[in-house]
Amino acid sequence: MGSFPLKYNMLSLYLYILVPHIALKTPRNYGEMEAQALLSWKGSLLNKTRSTLPSWTLSNCSSHCNKTSTPCVWFGISCNDAGKVVKVNVSSLGLEGTLLSFKFSSFPNLDSLDLSSNELHGAIPAHIGNLSQLTYLGLSYSYFSGKIPWEISLLKNLETFLVVQNQLNGSIPVEIGNMKSLKELSFGNNNLSGIVPVSLGNLTGVTILELFETQISGSIPLEIGNMKSLLKLSLNENRLTGSIPTSIGNLTGLTSLYLFGNGLFGSIPQEIGRLKSLTYLSLSENSLVGAIPTSLEMGNMKSLEDLNMGDNHLKGPIPSTFSNLKNISDLVLSYNQLSGTVPEKIGNLRKLSLLQLSNNMLSGHLPQSLCLEGSLVNFTAKENYFTGPFPKGLRNCSTLYRVRLGKNQLTGDISDVFGVYPNLDFMDLSDNNLYGKLSRNWGQCQRLTSLSLSGNNITGPIPPEFGESTNLAVLDLSNNQLVGEISRELMKLKFLNKLNLSRNDLSRLLPSEIGNLSKLNHLGISSNNLSGHIPKQIGSCFKLLSLSLSTNRFHGTIPSQMGDLIFLQILLDLSRNKLMGEIPSGLGRLRFLEKLNVSHNMLSGPIPSSFEEMKSLTSINVSYNQLEGRLPNIAF
Amino acid sequence: MAAIWTVLLLLLGTLSTPTTANLEGDALFAFRRGLKDPQHVLQSWDPTLVNPCTWFHVTCDKDNRVTRLDLGNAKLSGKLVSELGKLKHLQYLELYRNKLVGVIPKELGGLKSLLSLDLYHNNLTGSIPSSLSKLTNIRFLRLNSNRLTGRIPRQLTKLPNLKNLDVSNNDLCGTIPTSGSFYKFTEKSFENNSRLQGPELMGSVSYDIGFCN
Repeated sequence: MGSFPLKYNMLSLYLYILVPHIALKTPRNYGEMEAQALLSWKGSLLNKTRSTLPSWTLSNCSSHCNKTSTPCVWFGISCNDAGKVVKVNVSSLGLEGTLLSFKFSSFPNLDSLDLSSNELHGAIPAHIGNLSQLTYLGLSYSYFSGKIPWEISLLKNLETFLVVQNQLNGSIPVEIGNMKSLKELSFGNNNLSGIVPVSLGNLTGVTILELFETQISGSIPLEIGNMKSLLKLSLNENRLTGSIPTSIGNLTGLTSLYLFGNGLFGSIPQEIGRLKSLTYLSLSENSLVGAIPTSLEMGNMKSLEDLNMGDNHLKGPIPSTFSNLKNISDLVLSYNQLSGTVPEKIGNLRKLSLLQLSNNMLSGHLPQSLCLEGSLVNFTAKENYFTGPFPKGLRNCSTLYRVRLGKNQLTGDISDVFGVYPNLDFMDLSDNNLYGKLSRNWGQCQRLTSLSLSGNNITGPIPPEFGESTNLAVLDLSNNQLVGEISRELMKLKFLNKLNLSRNDLSRLLPSEIGNLSKLNHLGISSNNLSGHIPKQIGSCFKLLSLSLSTNRFHGTIPSQMGDLIFLQILLDLSRNKLMGEIPSGLGRLRFLEKLNVSHNMLSGPIPSSFEEMKSLTSINVSYNQLEGRLPNIAF
Repeated sequence: MAAIWTVLLLLLGTLSTPTTANLEGDALFAFRRGLKDPQHVLQSWDPTLVNPCTWFHVTCDKDNRVTRLDLGNAKLSGKLVSELGKLKHLQYLELYRNKLVGVIPKELGGLKSLLSLDLYHNNLTGSIPSSLSKLTNIRFLRLNSNRLTGRIPRQLTKLPNLKNLDVSNNDLCGTIPTSGSFYKFTEKSFENNSRLQGPELMGSVSYDIGFCN
């Protein structure tokens, strides 16, 4: 009994001496707590990925190497002056595992946590809300699933929250609207549901809000207009419906606005014109109706570089104020129901690089000054009601890469209207009312891969110089009034896969050099005045899928080498010529051919029994010939 | 040069501000990404275009939906991707005489407009997916000269419009169905499958006695 007080006194003595010593030791012990937490998380990760963090280890040394037991020297770890972990960055290390055993409460000083671009999965734990000092949280490009925990909103100092491209589901917690420090919020590319929370309107400090490619639905809340610091708003590719709220016009600092790929309806609010700082605006692929806002202010958006309103149900004119958009580079209005004329001054926009007006109901002339001072690269206005000539400004437009003006009523003499276009890849002027002669300049367009002038009133010959445009893969001059011969020089186009010269007045022979076109898939020269024999060299075009020589004056026999075209599939049409002699039995080798027409010739002899091998035939026409003998057993 | 094209391809696929989306173009571009194309037949396949209808070897109908894909004899290597099954208006899938490897994706059963499936003369492995029995319009099914294994799915006999079947020169096993649309096919459609056993005799012999592991 008496020794108890003594022991107690000894204990108190011990404590009185030791406690201050323990207190002095606190910084190192804290370091140990953080080190232990990191190590136990590392230990929970998949075996093979742990090896990417070799520095995360406690060394077994004695008192003389105190410092190495803190994690401050580990890879991806930064500490403050007091030796406490403030930053963890293990991005892009291929780490596999979860956050279940990440003891967040061990890091009261953590300011920045970057776990992005790894293969971490599982839920974002609710106790992440313990990181009270956190300003940066990066969880993007991983496989996190489950809901975004509302406890995230406990991170009162959080400025940046990125969780792009994961597998999160559920709704965006409304509590996020309480996170007044937030500046950047990115939830794009997840499988979220629910709506855009109205509470986001309270986040007056947020500059970047990205909710693209989730599956959020409902309307854009008008409270969005309260986010007065917003610079970038991405709500694209979701299931949003309803109208664009007029309050969007309050976001006068906005530089990027992406609403494309939703189900937004109603009109585009006039207030859009108040967004004077806007550089990128896309409203495309929605169900927007009404007219493009004509308010003058729309044209005062001097910073606007990209404007896309394509793929909607917009009506009415292109506002003349668009010619004030001095910095515009990409202007896309295609696939709407716009009418009226294109403001002439749009042609003066020096920086205009992409102009997409196709598939509307526009009329009048194309702006004549297009590209005069400029750098037009891509110009499509197909499927409208445009009249008048090919714009003069395009004559010397050396930046042109892709032009599609087909299916309009453009007219004028094109003999001298085209320059040489060193960068031109694709040119389609088909189905217009153009006349005059083909320009030799096309031969100097060395990058041209596709040229179509089909369906016009072009006369004169096909210049042999066309053969110098050696990258041509598609040449369609069909449905014109071209005369003269198919020159041998044209057969130098060894990359041609589609050649359509049908429905013209071409005459003389089909050159034997046709056999050089070894990549040819489609050859159409029907409805011309071609004569002479079908050259046997045609058998060398072994990649032909479709061949039509119909309605010409070919005479002589069908060359047996036709049977070498074993990949013919779509059509072999030799009808309406003056072919004679027997049908070569080699045609029976065309096992994939679906349609054969040799009608309206002077063919004699039997239908070859080898035709029984043509197992793919769905249609055969041998009528109006002088054939005789038994019908072979062709299975249909 | 190949390195430049690979980088360009990657850039095209991840352009920072895409403002439109086209499902069929995306599906075809996913196909392109999995292929090696030494002859640059897919060079014109630009995913930034509004639709794939001006891409070479792609044919569309008047509503800009892909109806034909003609890539036979193109020295392509790589795999068939499941995204090809998204081309709901595709009538002709012509990929014969290439060096394609991997399996026939079951998603090809979703090509409900398909008239012709030509995968012959490749290096395809795995079995013929039974999902191909959903291709109710198909006329031409030519899978010969590959390294396909497993049984011929019996459901294929129900294909009402099947005109031409060729599974010869593979490593198929089991027995040759003879019911439904298969009655018209001769031994030529099945030859050179060393483990494939003779045509089933209706009513007298039980099916599927052929050895198949």
